[in-house]
Amino acid sequence: MDQSQLRALEARCIQEEMPFCTASCPIHVDARGLMALLTRGELREARKILDRTMPFPEILGRICDQPCHPFCKRGEIGDPLWIGPLERYCVSVTDTVLKPPKLPVKGGAVAVLGAGFSGMTAALDLSRKGRPATLITARTRLGGSLPDRAGSLLPPEVFDQAEATLKRYGAEIVTGASLDRQTVAALLDKYDVLYFDWDDFTIDHLPFIPGTPDPISLALERDGCFGGGGVEDGKPFSIMHQAENGRRAALSMERYLQGVSLTAEREKEGACPTRMYTVTEGIPPASEIVPDNPIAGYTAEEAQREAARCIYCECLECVKKCAYLQEYKEYPKTLVRKIYNNLSIVQGNRSANKLTNSCSLCWQCTVICPYDFPVASACHAARQEMVASGHMPPSAHSFALEEMHYTLGENCALIRHQPGTTASRYLFFPGCQLTGTYPDTVERTYIFLTQHLEEGVGLFLSCCGAPADWAGQSALFTDVLADLTAQIRQMGNPTLIVACSSCLAAFGKYAPELTVVSLWEMLDELPLPEVLFDLPESPLTVHDPCTARYQEGVRASVRSICGKIGLPVAETTIGAELADCCGYGGLLQFANQPLGEKVATLKVSRSTTETGLVYCAMCRENLVGTETHIAHLLDYLFADPEKNPLVRAKVGLSGRHEHRSRLKSRLQSTLWQDPIGSPAPHRAIRLEADDETWALLNERLILMEDIQKVIHHAETTGRYLHNPANGRRLAAFKPAVVTYWAEYEPISDGYFLHRGYSHRMQLPEDRA
Amino acid sequence: MSTFSFAEATEWRCAACDQPLQPAKVKVTYLNAVFNVELMVCPACNFILVPENLAMGKMLEVEQLLEDK
Ligand code: SF4
Ligand code: SF4
Ligand code: SF4
Ligand SMILES: [Zn+2]
Repeated sequence: MDQSQLRALEARCIQEEMPFCTASCPIHVDARGLMALLTRGELREARKILDRTMPFPEILGRICDQPCHPFCKRGEIGDPLWIGPLERYCVSVTDTVLKPPKLPVKGGAVAVLGAGFSGMTAALDLSRKGRPATLITARTRLGGSLPDRAGSLLPPEVFDQAEATLKRYGAEIVTGASLDRQTVAALLDKYDVLYFDWDDFTIDHLPFIPGTPDPISLALERDGCFGGGGVEDGKPFSIMHQAENGRRAALSMERYLQGVSLTAEREKEGACPTRMYTVTEGIPPASEIVPDNPIAGYTAEEAQREAARCIYCECLECVKKCAYLQEYKEYPKTLVRKIYNNLSIVQGNRSANKLTNSCSLCWQCTVICPYDFPVASACHAARQEMVASGHMPPSAHSFALEEMHYTLGENCALIRHQPGTTASRYLFFPGCQLTGTYPDTVERTYIFLTQHLEEGVGLFLSCCGAPADWAGQSALFTDVLADLTAQIRQMGNPTLIVACSSCLAAFGKYAPELTVVSLWEMLDELPLPEVLFDLPESPLTVHDPCTARYQEGVRASVRSICGKIGLPVAETTIGAELADCCGYGGLLQFANQPLGEKVATLKVSRSTTETGLVYCAMCRENLVGTETHIAHLLDYLFADPEKNPLVRAKVGLSGRHEHRSRLKSRLQSTLWQDPIGSPAPHRAIRLEADDETWALLNERLILMEDIQKVIHHAETTGRYLHNPANGRRLAAFKPAVVTYWAEYEPISDGYFLHRGYSHRMQLPEDRA
Repeated sequence: MSTFSFAEATEWRCAACDQPLQPAKVKVTYLNAVFNVELMVCPACNFILVPENLAMGKMLEVEQLLEDK
């Protein structure tokens, strides 16, 4: 990803766009921030916001005609906020807190003719920028028509204060000047750049034809002359219009003096549209607080209550749903910047590796986002880049990848035509996780398919390679997929019946040449088996897997099957195309175990009933871990009638590992009557341990088979440590990159395991 | 390079050599980094003991640090 791609990506997240009030305010006052501070009663801080943005806050803050008012989002649920009167309250109870800095004087002779509020603003802005202006009025005082219009709302001393401010920034004020055509002509010669304030300068006194001011720069026909302010055609007098024109003119005059474009990149100046997206659904309505005494304005208590109606418009729609974004306290715009910066680190700690590996690549945020922000593809691409540059932390995905290799290897993988046939019209592909979790169910489902479909149903026990894809191992993934498709071709290109939504998504995206159908859509077409259980009376909440987000047909078939077998179901609060991940997606639970658990808990919390129903094996494993009763739909169709689908335990890593290889050898002998080779000798070792030890091994990503290897190695070589006090043995073995340790003791027909642990650090080869 | 000592008296004995373990300097490595540490080792056959608290504590910490370099 290069800088420009990153910027384009960042720009799709509008969380940092202006809220509706700020965008519609011609000088972009941070009303949202102001409301927060007023609500908390932090008046000095609130005043700082006005001092920072407003010219002469003691004037503008008191009488702003609040063009933002109709745009306030609160209007959708109650009444828009009275931002103007709240500013008035703030200004009347505070004095100036912040005095914006004055830049060093840069030269250029600047005159402002007419000292209405736009002229005052132009003179102030230019003087602050280091272009001290001469402000000239025919009247005896500042303000143009303002003092007459505002009446008692403006105490007379505010004009004295304004005058002091202007002088402090170096402006010169000339009152009572004669501004006839002749004097003006002389001024045109004397000054480099001039502004004419139509509120306090009569257009007839111009010695040239002004033309219509340019709407962006306010430039007049004559070079170096600008004009604005006064009353717009058909509109009432607006002080905010004066402020906006004065500010706009000052910027144009500064650009004029610098000799740069007067109009380039000024879209965000003045009231402008915003891409901000704020959902008001679910926010209780609240009506406006009207001051008891409208002339005096808000009291402290009234102001606080009115300000507290602000809903702090922002987006964060994706963050509201995604546990990952919440965990890292990021929204996608800031997130992708961190991920990108992490990739560009040459030396030092890559502190965002874990961040990059903790997204479950589930695409929920993209569906939610009004601008389809693709966090998943950014994280995925970053992982691929980390792998390519050798910066992927080895421990992040190695367990999952080793399991994938194991599943693809001779111990577990199997591809056969239906027993007694030599051709397949279909090929059942249960996927690695269903096989690991429910080997018996896989067998029953397969037999059912062979009984109900004609022209042969082959069986393909394997893995679609999704773990490699999620880990960013693109080369490996391509190889796996190429190998799978070659094997399928050799079977005569049968239609793949796929049980797992992840496999379905992977094949659909990366192997479109395959003919693929979901097991669920297939079952929905067939006469279903008779259900051998007492079906529960209260409905089960259906949890869609995140990988079925774009599989509407699959989701519909699952519900249709439930209806046909009479299983009562309910929907989640967030499901279907918005479904959360269970923690397995993107290998999240391997890269960030605690977050994986939080994600699973969140998914379960979307239930609307006490029990749940899933149709993804990994969802079952992870959601069962949250101690809720969750059944798998295949359990009701094909599982052992002795076992209640709602109370089956979590299978765990070792269990899944064992099941895959055992299913292969069992089916080889029962269905195909193949001679079976003898298993590796370490597999024959019988192990016992208590539940806590098994759970700890699971958490540490240590398989029972790893421990069997340690013990087998120790007992055949005699190399182990021995504790005479309790008779225990301690040994280590390093089958590949990880060194596994087992503390165990011999029992009558095997071994009892007390502890298991591992490390990646290497001990000297010659000594270990 | 300084040597950190993780050597601690232990009841474990080498079964093959029937010897108590003794502190010894060992070079452990991970991802191009080399550390000199002192561990309990069998003086006869050099069997090195990595106790659980070291493997799952300090070692894991350093492994993760190195992986993020
Ligand atoms: S939904 Fe998320 S990514 Fe999209 S604009 Fe809102 S905060 Fe940004
Ligand atoms: S609710 Fe608050 S943040 Fe939203 S537009 Fe109104 S004042 Fe601004
Ligand atoms: S976990 Fe899912 S919803 Fe959250 S950022 Fe990643 S892809 Fe988006
Ligand atoms: Zn020894």
